[in-house]
Amino acid sequence: MNTNNNVYTVIYTTVICVLVAAVLAFASQSLKPRQEANEKAETISQILTAAQFGAKESWNDNNATIDFYKQNIASAAVVGANGFAAGELNTENAEVYSVSDLKAQNYNIKDGTDVALPVYVFNNGVTVVAVYGAGLWGPVWGYIALDKDLETIVGAYFDHASETPGLGGKIKDDPAFRAQFVDKKVVYAEGQKPFNIVKGGAGDMVNGIDAITGATKTSNRVAAAINHCPGAYKEYVLAQRAVSREPQGEIMPLCDSTAVVEIVNE
Amino acid sequence: MEYLSLFVKSIFVDNMIFSYFLGMCSYLAVSKNVKTANGLGIAVIFVLFVTLPINYLLNKYVLVPGALSWLGESFADVDLSFLSFIVFIAVIAAIVQIVEMVVEKFSPSLYASLGIFLPLIAVNCAILGGSLFMQQKDFANVGESAVYALGSGIGWYLAIVALAAIREKLSYSNVPAPLKGLGITFFTVGLMGIAFMAFMGISL
Amino acid sequence: MDKKMKETILNPLFKGNPISVLVLGICSSLAVTVELKGACVMALSVIFVTGLSSLVCSLLRKTIPGRVRIVIQLVVVALMVILVDQLLKAFAYGIDKQLSVYIGLIITNCIVMGRIEAFALGNKPLPSLLDGIMNGVGYGMILVVVAFFRELLGSGTLFGFPVLSAIGYTNNGLVILPPMALILLGCIIWVQRSIQKDLQEK
Repeated sequence: MNTNNNVYTVIYTTVICVLVAAVLAFASQSLKPRQEANEKAETISQILTAAQFGAKESWNDNNATIDFYKQNIASAAVVGANGFAAGELNTENAEVYSVSDLKAQNYNIKDGTDVALPVYVFNNGVTVVAVYGAGLWGPVWGYIALDKDLETIVGAYFDHASETPGLGGKIKDDPAFRAQFVDKKVVYAEGQKPFNIVKGGAGDMVNGIDAITGATKTSNRVAAAINHCPGAYKEYVLAQRAVSREPQGEIMPLCDSTAVVEIVNE
Repeated sequence: MEYLSLFVKSIFVDNMIFSYFLGMCSYLAVSKNVKTANGLGIAVIFVLFVTLPINYLLNKYVLVPGALSWLGESFADVDLSFLSFIVFIAVIAAIVQIVEMVVEKFSPSLYASLGIFLPLIAVNCAILGGSLFMQQKDFANVGESAVYALGSGIGWYLAIVALAAIREKLSYSNVPAPLKGLGITFFTVGLMGIAFMAFMGISL
Repeated sequence: MDKKMKETILNPLFKGNPISVLVLGICSSLAVTVELKGACVMALSVIFVTGLSSLVCSLLRKTIPGRVRIVIQLVVVALMVILVDQLLKAFAYGIDKQLSVYIGLIITNCIVMGRIEAFALGNKPLPSLLDGIMNGVGYGMILVVVAFFRELLGSGTLFGFPVLSAIGYTNNGLVILPPMALILLGCIIWVQRSIQKDLQEK
């Protein structure tokens, strides 16, 4: 058979392409529910790890993870750029923002259009905020857990799509990198980044940690992601800090934006 | 001005070879002399310059979630991003195939000296890497992606021509026999890579 | 076993090693040799993919039109890799989390395409399968050697367990940077060609 014939070439290529696209589309569609369930459990386990409810490895059972989340979550909402709740996430279904939701919000932060970032508040007062940005090779994202004062970091967890294993990949694989975040603070001050990752000598910085050796670029991108996203959370965090410093010291329910305004205006 | 800084940045600071170490195989194998290096370098520039804008448009109007909304309301929530890898690869492979046919027709000697590395441009990680970086960097328009492609290609071209020139000189040096050729080239590239790290601190 | 078969099995390990002789798959060997664990994962995945894709392309070899062969080969390889990724994502999410970083590196690994072009398109399915697997093994071998030195000297550990760092060794930061992997590969070539003199270039 003459395989160099034009007609044959065109037909063969078309058939292969259609076949491949069909197989991929079928696989993608039929496996999607399972994949999404896995991804949701993974996201929740990352949030729980950041909030220091247990080591990442302890969340390997999807249902147990989601049940634990449901029992311990106090409220979950999305907040807009003005710091007010723009909507609620259903805690009974353990509704969370997936990585692709975060990605969409990342575009919104850049454009300055309707930002809606997730905030998870747990019964013990810990608040978890999300972080998303571009890494060296692909996206990096993560969760930062803040204490009741919304200033002190109690824990963090990061994940990535394709950073170099052993170098940039350490943002996820090296517990020592995450441990550095504990007890540091997110500082909103004029002319200063809320959080810094510096090459060597972060030492006693209140809001800074050391970059990963050999992975300065990935570290810088993580820092950019952190400043980008909690930068967007700024209004919310400042408003909530004002609330939590009131003598009553009670955490305000998230969606009651009018109450927040009153206290801020005082 | 923005185009210029993107251009310079993609040539030097984000050099495909020395800062991302992409496209190494053909870089090492086809840098024996300046003439072939020149040929492959130009082929890489060309392939990058053509595929990146095409992939940019495909990504923007077909692949990303909601990209198909120009077809009508009902397509607004179609998400084809699972196809992006294969689509990028297919576009690259098709362009490489065309380049291969053109080179074979017009310069049989270059075709012979490039050998298997001409079809292998298709899996030259610098090319796919370019497309994936483009997807991640969210360029505002086709122009930016084309400038980025051109810069990355020229960066790759400069790197391979520089290495070929060094290798031509090296062939007159008294290198230990087992290191001759490929061995000493690895060392040379390693040292060039360390030198290029000086560009890392520059922000444009 | 006949002589040709033996050749197919042994050649990729030493005389025709994909990395040190054929110069294929360098990019990924720079990226994944910072730690031994990553190198092993990558080596196993590449053995799997080169074997399977050589087999499939060898089965298709008589039907592939010459002028679009690159497109077809790559699409076949990418299809298999992505399919495996999708399946793992649904049924073995833990493993997929470990592997997903390597997916792009595997598809664009020139060993896969290089062996299809150079061997599978001209040979029967069984030898092609063997050739693919053994090239993966030859590639993995070098990967593990480089990763051994880079992890030991760069981080003072092996498979994450402290070895040199336990006896007060100061980590050499240069070794975990990519240029040092090139220099280590150069050393491997040096050793190999000192032993196998017929590989030396003039």
